[in-house]
Amino acid sequence: MLLSTYVVFITDSDSASGKAAIRRFIAEGAHFLLNSESGGAALSAELKLVEESGKQAIVVNIDLCKHADVMDMLQYAEQQIGTVTTLVHNSKVVLPSSIEYADEEQFSQSIAVNAKSAFICTQAAGKLMKEKQAGTIIYVSSIHAEKPTGSAFTYSIAKGAVNMLAKEAALVLGRFGIRVNTIETGPIEGDSQLFDSTISTLYNDYEYKVPNAVLGTQEDLAELIYFLSSDASTYINGADIRLDGGFLLHYMNVKMKKP
Amino acid sequence: MSIAGKIALVTGAGTGIGKGVAVELARRGVQVAVHYNQSDAGALHTKQMIDELGGSCLLVQANVANKLEIERMVSRIAEHYGGVDLLVNNAALQLNHPLFDYSEADFDRMFNINLKGYWQCIQAVVPYMKAKQFGRIILMSSVHSKRPTDFDVVYSMTKGGIRMLGRESAIELAQYGITVNTIEPGAVDVGKQSARESKPFMTAEEMDKHKRQSRPIREKFPLGRVGRPLDVAQLVCFLASDESEFMTGSAIRLDGGSMLL
Repeated sequence: MLLSTYVVFITDSDSASGKAAIRRFIAEGAHFLLNSESGGAALSAELKLVEESGKQAIVVNIDLCKHADVMDMLQYAEQQIGTVTTLVHNSKVVLPSSIEYADEEQFSQSIAVNAKSAFICTQAAGKLMKEKQAGTIIYVSSIHAEKPTGSAFTYSIAKGAVNMLAKEAALVLGRFGIRVNTIETGPIEGDSQLFDSTISTLYNDYEYKVPNAVLGTQEDLAELIYFLSSDASTYINGADIRLDGGFLLHYMNVKMKKP
Repeated sequence: MSIAGKIALVTGAGTGIGKGVAVELARRGVQVAVHYNQSDAGALHTKQMIDELGGSCLLVQANVANKLEIERMVSRIAEHYGGVDLLVNNAALQLNHPLFDYSEADFDRMFNINLKGYWQCIQAVVPYMKAKQFGRIILMSSVHSKRPTDFDVVYSMTKGGIRMLGRESAIELAQYGITVNTIEPGAVDVGKQSARESKPFMTAEEMDKHKRQSRPIREKFPLGRVGRPLDVAQLVCFLASDESEFMTGSAIRLDGGSMLL
């Protein structure tokens, strides 16, 4: 796929990862379709940068679990700025939830935001990309698609589902020249509260469980998203790339690089 | 290895793997609640097979997409047998719709039965297992929980979810003496296809091509045959036994080595 202009659809543009991705793709002269819960209010700085780059950003605020709405939005964007070339699914919600006591509402909300929206967006964007026989889909997932949290099982199972969505879609859509990959992100600042657990001590001293004791940044993530959407990665399809500095491989606490 | 006297709930026990599991458990002296949903014909046949072996079973009906029906079912089993020691989560749907044809409603249905149903059956049996500080939970997943197979994207998603449900449940429920393990069967010969709603996962044209390209069985299954429900049932019996007490959060691929080819 040789792209003259990226048209990047980001499912949660207001998030830190969404903003970093916008900034990274501005440098590539991209147009944007930005789903923003704040309706763009949280993105004023990024939108200004897009404008200064001479490109366009369409800002929407829609329910990504409604196929018809997602399709309408993508078709509208197609007329305005071109067919989406890059789908970045970075929507997530982490709800503290235990197997024993969680309620159905927590389950449904987590599946919807973390997994169903990924499926619906893949279906809709995939249909348009199929027409062009080109496109890339990137799921910003989590190491918790593999590693249990002991604190938010509804998140783990949803990201486990996305992990298989990526692999199946890599086959189905791969036959139309579309690549589908997953980034399994590791800890960033604040995750010890997010995954606070009475069962798993994974996040105790988490910053030192990264062997080099340096946490990754949203810019690291944005760089990988860009790489996976670019022609530099044309043979990468259906891969899960762990972006955690080696955190998940940590084993011996006494060996941590801790002052 | 004795599991006699234990009390089991096997969901989806009117057909295929679930039937094989229920019958083998009963043959070994387990008291088995045979679950079905829409039609009791298959479950009655399971019961007949168990009766002929001189085993004990109880037919129970519930839609596993509905929490209240699950709770009603589990409390009936507990009243009848005095608890639940073993849960075999097996009832699942595989629609085989192509990616672009999946409706939102079918997506929800798949998740509600295959994933939410597994979790809520766990939730419903935990109080009884906690009371005894003993429990065995087995999740019937599939090789599709790790490897894509081009059949049904949403089915694979639900199995990917089960992979994590098994791991999360194992670490959370260990404190109550409950173990949770997952079985990942490959192709299993279940006779006449039991899942009545499943479409063929190949188009007529693909099926025709597939038949013309048919390969010797050992090219697909190193042991020279596909799986049988009894293969799965025997592993269930081990996982249900005291011999497996240190095993939890594991997922065992049971496919005759086929995924390695």
